[in-house]
Amino acid sequence: MSDNQAPQAPKAMRGVGNFIDDRFHLAKMGEKNLRKVFPNHWSFMLGEIALYSFIILLLSGVFLTLWFNPSMGHIVYDGSYERLRGVGMSEAYASTLHITFDVRGGLLMRQIHHWAALIFVASLVIHMLRVFFTGAFRKPREINWLIGVAIFTLAIVEGLFGYSLPDDLPSGMGLRIFQGVLLALPLIGTYASFYLFGGEFPGEVIIPRLYSLHILVIPAILLALIAAHFMILWHQKHTQYPGTGRTEKKVVGTPMFPAFAIKAGGFFFFTFAVIVGLSAFVQINPIHLFGPFTPTSITAGLQPDWYMGFLEGSLRIFPNWFDITIAGYAIPMGVLIPGLGFMGILFGGLAAWPFVEAWITGDKRPHNLADRPRNAPVRTGLGAAGITFYGLLWLAGSNDILSHTFEISLYTTTWIFRIGIFVGPVIAYIITKRICLGMQRRDRETLEHGYESGTIAQLPGGEFVEVHKESSPETVHVLESKESMTPRIETPAANANGVESPASRSLMGKLRARLADWYTRDNISFVGVEPHSGHHLHHGSHNGDGPTHGVQGSENGHGGSTASDKVTQGAGQNK
Amino acid sequence: MKWITARRRHPLAGYVVVIIALAFFGVGYTFVAPATSPAQAQNASAESDLANVDLANGRELFNQSCASCHGQDGKGITKTEAGNAGAWGPDLTGVGAAAVDFQVSTGRMPSANPDAQMPRKPAMYGRDDINDIAAYVDAQFGGGPGIPVNVPGDKPKRADFESEADYEEATELYQSSLEQYTGGGDTEAGMKLYMTNCAHCHSWSGGGGALTDGRWAPDLNSATPRQIYEAMLTGPGAMPVFQDSNDEVGGEGGAISSSEKQSLIKFIVDLENEPNAGGYFGLNRVGQVAEGFIGWTVGISLIVACAIWITAKQRAHD
Ligand code: HEC
Ligand code: HEC
Repeated sequence: MSDNQAPQAPKAMRGVGNFIDDRFHLAKMGEKNLRKVFPNHWSFMLGEIALYSFIILLLSGVFLTLWFNPSMGHIVYDGSYERLRGVGMSEAYASTLHITFDVRGGLLMRQIHHWAALIFVASLVIHMLRVFFTGAFRKPREINWLIGVAIFTLAIVEGLFGYSLPDDLPSGMGLRIFQGVLLALPLIGTYASFYLFGGEFPGEVIIPRLYSLHILVIPAILLALIAAHFMILWHQKHTQYPGTGRTEKKVVGTPMFPAFAIKAGGFFFFTFAVIVGLSAFVQINPIHLFGPFTPTSITAGLQPDWYMGFLEGSLRIFPNWFDITIAGYAIPMGVLIPGLGFMGILFGGLAAWPFVEAWITGDKRPHNLADRPRNAPVRTGLGAAGITFYGLLWLAGSNDILSHTFEISLYTTTWIFRIGIFVGPVIAYIITKRICLGMQRRDRETLEHGYESGTIAQLPGGEFVEVHKESSPETVHVLESKESMTPRIETPAANANGVESPASRSLMGKLRARLADWYTRDNISFVGVEPHSGHHLHHGSHNGDGPTHGVQGSENGHGGSTASDKVTQGAGQNK
Repeated sequence: MKWITARRRHPLAGYVVVIIALAFFGVGYTFVAPATSPAQAQNASAESDLANVDLANGRELFNQSCASCHGQDGKGITKTEAGNAGAWGPDLTGVGAAAVDFQVSTGRMPSANPDAQMPRKPAMYGRDDINDIAAYVDAQFGGGPGIPVNVPGDKPKRADFESEADYEEATELYQSSLEQYTGGGDTEAGMKLYMTNCAHCHSWSGGGGALTDGRWAPDLNSATPRQIYEAMLTGPGAMPVFQDSNDEVGGEGGAISSSEKQSLIKFIVDLENEPNAGGYFGLNRVGQVAEGFIGWTVGISLIVACAIWITAKQRAHD
């Protein structure tokens, strides 16, 4: 809709509009921002789920603060939940019961808050995976990636603290594990624990302290980080998948207003509906059934929320073989390594990856076009390995439930996971990389020959061939974009003059060269492949993957058109 | 997906979505609105028969279906003695009537496979026969803890009664004895005892859990109060014994007095009968693992499906 077609606003409103515009020049800014385009692919909506569930978290959280009493003061319950009347408990727990049973809509709000938290972290994960697999973390977006990692980390901590607030049975057990990990710190462990808990576990101060972190400090930081994340995104724009007209310089998509705004608004309501629907029908964290925490309580069958599951799992399967005692002080490696080390590997690895990858590939160019995951097979394989590692730890966190549900011996599950976390990622890496390379080969073939139409034609000579149709220009464009994205890194031991470059002589240089070679060695080269140039009779002869292969294809390509080429043309016009 | 994509711009599409949503919530609500569960039928009739047990019948039944594993003399048969027959069982000396009642009324005995933990099954014998066997074992192989007759036992079964009226009467009787029994307990004491002594095996909900060596702690929700009491008294399988009073020695689990047991049982029974306030789907009270599973499989999946839907464009066939 262009401007001169827009219906005139009523005079009064125009007056207000002009008043504001004269002062803030919003119209110009607004126009630019409203025309901002957004890519039209579902995987670009994943971050939005996180944003929306965060908003829902904020709103439902504010509701809960109106009644929640973050105090560990001891009282005897005499509220309306009959089963626990006369039971001693903390005020925090009692006020959570009050929200659940006496505040109108309180239970629904609690469940909304909790489901939204689960969905929030889940959406962060899938959003992050999208960014990872499409290489959208590359220059110039490294900073936003780091912010994302920070948001992810804080979200998990925020979730843990929230989980601990109601002072019910799982809260207390979670805190107990948290304290256990704290205690495992060499030298400072005991002090840190006493400092945080204000004395012996559980003490009287931990819930008020976690409360101010949970409702004030961490959300404020999260909010700031999210704002920064968006401003950077706004400035840099999304990456986009390759396609016609999409280049490193030009973004194609839906303009912010009105099309995208409407879509996004609808999407918000859908996210909201799913969360509320779950909250209305599926019970979550039934604190009234759990009962209050007492320090002697201990139970089977309780887990942390899913996003802490990988830590729980690493604690469960890590053996105590490495526990040591130095000068009479025990160093419980069996807690330290899984409790802190694995977390370090995960978040440290995530944060470092863009820089590690840039260092390996030596690629300092800015990238606005997303990689298709198959075109970066090593990265995709590593991502799959990471998912497998994380997923197995996560499953290991529920090994008792798995054992009970599927009737596998508990010790067996422990060993399955202990071995699995080493073997699983390797297998996932190999399989994923193979699949990627296979897809690359298919892509090259499609580019050279068009796609298999499923139609069989008989040549005048009596021979049967499968008719290949020409792919649409869009497809051709997507396929051709490959070469520009993942250059094969040649690592000549010496330059043209036979002199080793100083950079590659150092130890790091050698390492880098090795890694760069590993990173790109198996890539299928598309160099010199002309679209739809392939000789159909060569179909099926593609098994080499050396760089010469692409050239071969193009040589064949110009070798005149055969009968089947004509069939291709004819059939192509039918569609 | 294609089908929806093609029609989602249809002028009626919006109404269809609204109607589906309304129907979804309407139907959903009828599920959530809690159906009041009818009073659970239970029965207290059995203990009156304890006075006139038939020891001869007990001996006959024991020799018939228990002696093959536990021996005619009740001294048990070891695995090596049993050899390939595979029929072995422990010494029953001093186990007492409570152990027999627990094992037979929960269907564990006669065992089908002595090498594996026995699951709960429908009992093979009726109340009178169980009483007879229990009395026989108690009298013949040295006494142990007796059947705790003041704790409500089996629920009445309709088949055991001539007329509907008798059945209902028995049910009411059972119900009132159950209420009387659990009414005497103290929730807080029961909760503490449960969380300290039982939850690490049977889980907070009584749903059971995995133990080491391929064993498991079963679900407590089908056990009658008397069976719970007997389980504590006799410590079946991998479960420790929780003796009645402090001055008796021996139980690995420590001692829980009979009034404490009453509180504990009250806690288990009340928790089991407690409705799931949070929604129709209680997820079997499995807790966070189930919640995480639903969060991913239903929650995030639906939202992503929606993202795919709203960004879908009619792709030119290529
Ligand atoms: C197929 C062999 C077998 C048969 C038949 C059998 N039992 Fe057992 N019984 C066992 C085994 C094995 C155990 C140990 C179970 C465990 O430790 O989990 C056992 C345990 C018991 C115990 C518990 C002992 C204790 O120390 O608490 C009692 C009581 C008992 N059986 C009674 C009976 C009675 C009564 C019958 C007949 C109705 C019977 N058994 C039939 C194999 C058998
Ligand atoms: C060490 C773990 C452990 C502890 C602690 C424990 N149990 Fe058990 N419990 C078991 C096992 C194992 C069985 C199954 C025994 C068998 O049949 O072999 C069982 C069986 C039972 C049963 C029979 C359930 C049925 O339906 O057949 C009841 C009732 C029971 N336990 C109650 C309790 C109570 C009450 C406590 C706390 C005072 C308790 N248990 C503590 C492990 C435990």
